Amino acid sequence: MKYCVTITNIRKGSDLVKSSIFKTVLIAASAALLLSGCGGATGGEGNRQGNEKKETVTLTMEYNWSSPNADNLYYKERIKQFEEQNPDINIEAQDIPSAQYRTKLRTEAAGNSMPDMFILFPAVEMEPYIAADVLMPIDEIMDEWKGILPPQALAGFNVNGKQYAIPTKMTFVDIIYYHKDLLESVGYKEFPATYSEFLEMAKKLKAAGITPIVMGNKNRWPMQSSFISAVGDRFAGSDFLQKVIQGEAKFTDPDYVNALNTVSELVNLEAFNADINTMDEVQQQDYFLQKKAAITITSSTIDTKFRAGNTDKAAAENIGIALFPAVEGGKGDPTKSAGVIQYGIGLSKGLSDAKKEAAMKFLKFFYAPELYTTLMSKGIVVPALVETPADTTPYLKEMLELTKNGSAVVFDSVMQPALKDAMENGIQAILTKQKTPEQVAKELQDTMDKNRR
Amino acid sequence: MHGLKRTGWTVFFGMLPALLIYTGIALVPIGMSLYYSFFSWDGLSPMRHVGLHNYISTLTDGVFWKGVGNNLFMLATGIFGQLPIGLFFALLLNRSLKGIKVYRSMLFLPVVISAVIVSIIWGMVFKIESGMLNGLLGLIGLESWQQDWLGSPKLGMLSVSITYIWQNYGFFMVIFLAALQNIPQEMREAALMDGASGWKHFWYVTLPMLKDTIWVTLIFAISNSFRVFDLIYVMTAGGPAHNTEVMTIYMYNNAFQNMNFGYGSAVSMLILLFSLIAIYAAKLITQRNR
Repeated sequence: MKYCVTITNIRKGSDLVKSSIFKTVLIAASAALLLSGCGGATGGEGNRQGNEKKETVTLTMEYNWSSPNADNLYYKERIKQFEEQNPDINIEAQDIPSAQYRTKLRTEAAGNSMPDMFILFPAVEMEPYIAADVLMPIDEIMDEWKGILPPQALAGFNVNGKQYAIPTKMTFVDIIYYHKDLLESVGYKEFPATYSEFLEMAKKLKAAGITPIVMGNKNRWPMQSSFISAVGDRFAGSDFLQKVIQGEAKFTDPDYVNALNTVSELVNLEAFNADINTMDEVQQQDYFLQKKAAITITSSTIDTKFRAGNTDKAAAENIGIALFPAVEGGKGDPTKSAGVIQYGIGLSKGLSDAKKEAAMKFLKFFYAPELYTTLMSKGIVVPALVETPADTTPYLKEMLELTKNGSAVVFDSVMQPALKDAMENGIQAILTKQKTPEQVAKELQDTMDKNRR
Repeated sequence: MHGLKRTGWTVFFGMLPALLIYTGIALVPIGMSLYYSFFSWDGLSPMRHVGLHNYISTLTDGVFWKGVGNNLFMLATGIFGQLPIGLFFALLLNRSLKGIKVYRSMLFLPVVISAVIVSIIWGMVFKIESGMLNGLLGLIGLESWQQDWLGSPKLGMLSVSITYIWQNYGFFMVIFLAALQNIPQEMREAALMDGASGWKHFWYVTLPMLKDTIWVTLIFAISNSFRVFDLIYVMTAGGPAHNTEVMTIYMYNNAFQNMNFGYGSAVSMLILLFSLIAIYAAKLITQRNR
């Protein structure tokens, strides 16, 4: 009752409520309702018409290509080319920010409203979709890539002998980029080969007033993916995470605690930018390019922004690349980079025949050899055996050389979401000095045990 | 009053559309959540009945209780931040002044702006290098106070709450303003004749007259604070390391990011329970003060 009284009070008393703002808000709110209602209806009709007439087929698609990376822009261009060549096929695409993409797709799968085509993440991320049986295998068109895509490029998207997607590129997540002149200014002509030297260098950079390492960990995955994947591999070896999953090793083993401890050591040196937990990954790249920090660790894709595609040639020439150095007594191979295949397009199982035919046609076009050669000439590592184009940049050659020694394991490509979550929050807790590496290791193991049950 | 007997039915039919919508978008989903909360379910594979397990593991999770604590913090900033500031501006605006409408609109503006925009703007204010707050501190020689406001474990919640206050005080301001304008002018004159002016007038005349309105705004402030999500999600997403996580974000992370819809449903039932307890407590206090 009191509620009603107040509302009448507002009516009677306040000029504001009568004023145009209030009206505008009301109108806007009702317009939004109307619009969203209409939008839904037209969308549905469009699909139905597409099926009935058999003339134009509309395929819905979702991808996470919203960052302006060189390859993302090219993928969208290819979709456009396909639509031009096939006026009877219409692709209705939604571009979703990477941080939200997986959540959105999984929720759609749960709500039985998946798009016709969507970016699929390999390995552990595919498991729930396989279990729910919502994916369509593409084995019937795999001959198309015989001799182009080697088995290791396909393995991530292959479950029980069935192929569900093929990748566009190979992404190494743990590439260290550094400004050569800044390192030289503290006496390092080359990137340190051991971790203790690396720490020494960080101290010297700090003393010289240069932020040693910039990371943009607001969205939490950068430290987990780009940092811990590599460091964990150096200390505990490439088979460690698999052993943990099988229960043969524990996160609380000294090797892994030591790996987590590197975060703590670097924090104590104040080696990271102070706003590491509120900066995002794009700001991280800009911060590094502005030479506000000597080093950053991020994916091989960003090399095109830092070097190959950089309009400032001198700045590009000044940026070097390296892998995380060797650690004392470490069980991992310090020449290994942590890599994953990316951007397979999966198909929904429920496609009608007409849609299926169109989707297969699209995949054949999209993943044609020219995709891989174009990506290479843009400076991106691809998992395909195609001729190296003549205009391959020396930067890409350097990257291929650096990453040729096989792949270490990327943490979230093998670990369940709950573990990824525990790791990401654990690292932030170490970064804010709220937890010790030992505590975080114990939490990780607890989560692992709980998850296995 | 010829229609008096039929009033009950008339009211019922009048409310029927609203009632149906409310049942469809509020009551049914709450019932479904209650049902899901007894299952372990990732949305894709078959549901598995686990009894009270979801509730037990939520209530024994330290992160959940941290969220509860942060919710109480938001509740306190709602009550002790938004309400007094809203009342303060309402008192200022409750007079004839040149361009009063402009001031009113300006002060009400934050309520109209979408929470995402508000979060982005304030995220910029709190930035470490180019942030306005650190810039101001630098100007007055307090460089030692400059820091990463949203990333700090100690000040993260405070920074978020400042934004929360800024975003919502205008809503309470409008309610208070309406109530103030409803206080008869004669009261003011009578009080003045009795010698009550300034603070005395406020304490002994204005405030008692606003009592009912204050209780209403209190209920609003409580229920708002349990619903807060978008603001924190955009500013910090609950980070770093759960420091600014509230119950709704905890629920979202578990349900949608870790794909545990049963667990998430259990958490949302607990949120509902806590909100009802808080509102009931407020109601009890209200009645005692009547």
